[in-house]
Amino acid sequence: MKKSLPYLLLVPALLFTVFVLVYPLVQNLINSVCDVSMIRGSNGWVGLHNYERIFNDTLFWHSFRNTAIYAIVGTLLALLVGLGFALLLNMKLGRISSIASFLYTIPWVISPVVAGFAWKWILNDRFGIVNYWLASAGIVKLGTSWLGDPGTALFCVMLARIWQFYPFAMVMFLAGLQTIPQEQYEAAAVDGATIVRRFFYITLPNLKSVSSVLLVLGVIWSFNDFNMVFVMTRGGPMNSSMVLPVLVRELSFVHFDLGRGSALSIVIFVLLVSLSYLYLKLIGGRESA
Amino acid sequence: MKKALLISLMVILALLVLLPFLWTFSTSLKPLNEVNKYPPEWTSVNMSLKPYSDMFFYLPFSTYTLNSLIVAFSSTILTLLIGSLAAFAFSRFQFAGKNVFLLIFLLSQMLPGASVIIPLFQLLQKVGLYDTRLGLILVHTAFLLPFVIWLLYGFFLAIPRDVEDAALIDGCSRMQALRKVILPLALPGMGATALFAFLGSWNEFFFALLLTSSDSTKTIPVGIGLFVGEYLDVWNQMAAAAVLFSLPPLILFMFTRKTFVKGLVAGAYR
Repeated sequence: MKKSLPYLLLVPALLFTVFVLVYPLVQNLINSVCDVSMIRGSNGWVGLHNYERIFNDTLFWHSFRNTAIYAIVGTLLALLVGLGFALLLNMKLGRISSIASFLYTIPWVISPVVAGFAWKWILNDRFGIVNYWLASAGIVKLGTSWLGDPGTALFCVMLARIWQFYPFAMVMFLAGLQTIPQEQYEAAAVDGATIVRRFFYITLPNLKSVSSVLLVLGVIWSFNDFNMVFVMTRGGPMNSSMVLPVLVRELSFVHFDLGRGSALSIVIFVLLVSLSYLYLKLIGGRESA
Repeated sequence: MKKALLISLMVILALLVLLPFLWTFSTSLKPLNEVNKYPPEWTSVNMSLKPYSDMFFYLPFSTYTLNSLIVAFSSTILTLLIGSLAAFAFSRFQFAGKNVFLLIFLLSQMLPGASVIIPLFQLLQKVGLYDTRLGLILVHTAFLLPFVIWLLYGFFLAIPRDVEDAALIDGCSRMQALRKVILPLALPGMGATALFAFLGSWNEFFFALLLTSSDSTKTIPVGIGLFVGEYLDVWNQMAAAAVLFSLPPLILFMFTRKTFVKGLVAGAYR
């Protein structure tokens, strides 16, 4: 009894984990080599046909490219913005900094669905406040449809995503900034180093490990992001902002092709496992360092 | 002088950052004919709370709200119950395979929703739980569990063993020790964890969207997220729904900022 107690305690949690991890992965593998339709049911083994169709589909490669841009460029820019905000908050203005950091963190706390809705509304072609300002300033023609134009749709969603993710980077960078020993700055000041040099030779090197963790984590999360894209554009117009998670829904729940959807799920899973491996290496390295 | 400059920069940035919300809030108070007006204006004499009552009256948001509350509360309670058992095992026992189990929970947290949605959909449909609140509660619980276990594990580890040993010597069983000694001491940590779980379920969109189909089971984010196709013209009522839906997370965040930020930082290095 005594020996088995810890295992008994783990049973409920393990049951749930099997339910979301083991079973879906096995079932996905089975689906992906079969012809499974949401309407006609399963029609048996088709080998690697589903994978073949995915890799021969230009839409897959287009979505893959979009996802990579959205995840990598979006995360890099969010990190830059987050660093800027963290440096500003680190000026230590007391109560004002505290209120500002509260306000700056709000985009991260709010549901991504509300965020997507709000961005869609300020970017609205006719009644959005952004277009009104830009048109008043003579920068764009009135009625410019940012989300309706295949050339700008993905960029707009990415902007909203950056806005949603930067607070996380900001909080992490701020925590990082506060651990830098003050003596390093004092010594540099004595040696006559300028603010710019102090930033590049003391601040940045000290933030290296935080940045790498943030980068990988941000890329993983954005790579998985379904919400912002779905709410703002649903991958459109004309698939111009299509990303892989939205494409899974498109294949499975719009075209009812569960087999092909499952094959794409497996492809996403493999990509994500590789990224996660990198992440585990990074935090592992950090702990032993 | 330098301070004044910094403060004005901070204020301008805050306005920029909050612009989408401020504009949504302004929209949520306007009558429809002023929402669809050019040039747009921030305030008007006709502002009122009418869009808020309209949204409950004309759109199915009262049902959505009830569903969101039921799903989020049930998932939170279920996750905390199951999670504290597992966290207790991890923090108080040495057993074969402990690290493997911990790793499994860590990995399942990295799992993208898109790579498991189809089998979950098939399974729920097979057992008759597709398009039910119970189905959604189970899926949310499963997805919140790893994070909750890791958080609770940390909190439980911080409770000194001596306290528990004293209880054991006084004749408590291991489970009694959990119930009477560890749980009360871990209460603040459990409160913070419950908060994370609640918000996780409350804000969740992907599974709620794909595992429900009728208005009687949809949650608020699904109602807002799908609005584009359905209630195209009533931006003011949708804005009202978005504002109301954002209040619980905002209020919780306001009162628990310290824990929240700490959890955020700790969460990344889990």
